[in-house]
Amino acid sequence: MTDVAILYDSSRCSACKGCQSACKCWNGLPSPLEKNAVSCTGSYQSPPELNGDTRLLIRFDEAAGGSKGVEWAFNRRSCMHCVNPGCVAVCPSGALHVDAETGFVAVSAEKCVGCKYCASACPFGVPQHYGPEKTINKCTGCLDRVEQGRAPACVKTCQPGALKFGDREEMLAIAHERVALLKAKGYDKAVVYGENELDGLHVIMVEKYGLDAAGLPENPQINQVVDILGLMKPLTGIGAAAIVAGLGLSFLTGIGYKRDTLHYDEAAHDVVDMDTGEIVRHIDVESEE
Amino acid sequence: MTRYIKRHTLQTRITHGTVAVSCILLAITGLFVFVPALTTAVPPHVVLMIRRAHRILGVIIILVPLISAILAPKGVAHLFHNYFAKWDKDDFVWMKKFIPYMLAPKKIHMPDQHEVKAGQRVADGALIVGVLVMAISGIFLLAGTSFAELSASTMVVMRLIHDIAFLWMVIFGLAHIYLGAGIFQPYRGTRRLMFGDGNVEESDALYHWGHWAVDEIDKGEKITDDEEVVA
Repeated sequence: MTDVAILYDSSRCSACKGCQSACKCWNGLPSPLEKNAVSCTGSYQSPPELNGDTRLLIRFDEAAGGSKGVEWAFNRRSCMHCVNPGCVAVCPSGALHVDAETGFVAVSAEKCVGCKYCASACPFGVPQHYGPEKTINKCTGCLDRVEQGRAPACVKTCQPGALKFGDREEMLAIAHERVALLKAKGYDKAVVYGENELDGLHVIMVEKYGLDAAGLPENPQINQVVDILGLMKPLTGIGAAAIVAGLGLSFLTGIGYKRDTLHYDEAAHDVVDMDTGEIVRHIDVESEE
Repeated sequence: MTRYIKRHTLQTRITHGTVAVSCILLAITGLFVFVPALTTAVPPHVVLMIRRAHRILGVIIILVPLISAILAPKGVAHLFHNYFAKWDKDDFVWMKKFIPYMLAPKKIHMPDQHEVKAGQRVADGALIVGVLVMAISGIFLLAGTSFAELSASTMVVMRLIHDIAFLWMVIFGLAHIYLGAGIFQPYRGTRRLMFGDGNVEESDALYHWGHWAVDEIDKGEKITDDEEVVA
């Protein structure tokens, strides 16, 4: 299988949240049932953000204007499945890895140690941690379905056809064609997202109203501190090796060292070498004081 | 008959021992998050167990010295007095000779020292600073991965600080073990000061802390002729 991608076309999305529900259903993710358990965002966006049991969220951007007083821009918020994912680079336990067949960022939650390095490395703020051990939960691209030749649950359920799944190049071609059409209709800010950002993403997006309305960073970057963190391992190794080598050399030069027994004669205020009987030094008490 | 000078109380030795063991175990358990190869070499439930142990040890290494300090405020004042005492000529000479002495102990002779050597002040101070930085950044990491919601930027910066402090601790910790455990030949026998009965042989005391040894023998308060512990 070649690299695949999920295509999200915001110009076709009706924000029905079918994808959000399908994700929960397929992955067995619970939702709180208590009244007002989820805080209100003031819009139809619910829950307010991705969380431990919500891997996919339909984002609502509302602005005053338009013929009906409000202009909506919808966006799909979930793992972007970067081609070179920072989360995988920093994961110390192998809980995150790139699936060689699809290019999706796969999760082995049982290996997660809850360090949250991945959350620090993700420029989209996607990885969430929950449960008693606060282990990772994020979109897996429904690899269990894809391996069986099926589309991810969110794609399968999308009624307006805003979500598509297939070969990444094919998805990009569709996205560019759609953006060209939108621009021709006067949506000047329409843009394809995910082609080159962070060396490419496996979620391609058609953003009808531009990136600001979609809440996407124009030039996403992995936190530079993450790169420095990567340097700390070899640096610590070098530091440890250097100090061990230095101390080893010191040990070797000290082999055969023998010290004579010293005794202090408090009456005479002399420090005496008991092996030779010599006075090593005389303590001038007044001067010492 | 060999004379001994009391150097460390039982409480100091217990505190030091607890911190030392915790520190070594923290380094080992911490490596399972620091080095991916180690993490993947053991089953996930073992990694989780190690992770829990790291956090418990982290709490121990913070609480034990704090409790000890509360129980012995005079000891803390004495420690601060020694570590921040004015440096004399012998201290500067000692520091200047330290590296050559480490590489040629048979030829280089060190000047007399007070209760805490110049090098001890630097190295122990570095270790204390390292532990403090690790403890503070560790508290942030513990909170951010358990009960508190900290920003990704805060977490990643705390991780960097924790990692840098780890490198710092590796360097000063290994040197401390090398000298404190008496692996370095002239330091043979110093292990018993913290991991034994807290007494130092007169000869060793005169060699390592000449000024202090003379003072203590002159005072005669902490001296014993056998290994009986002086209260």
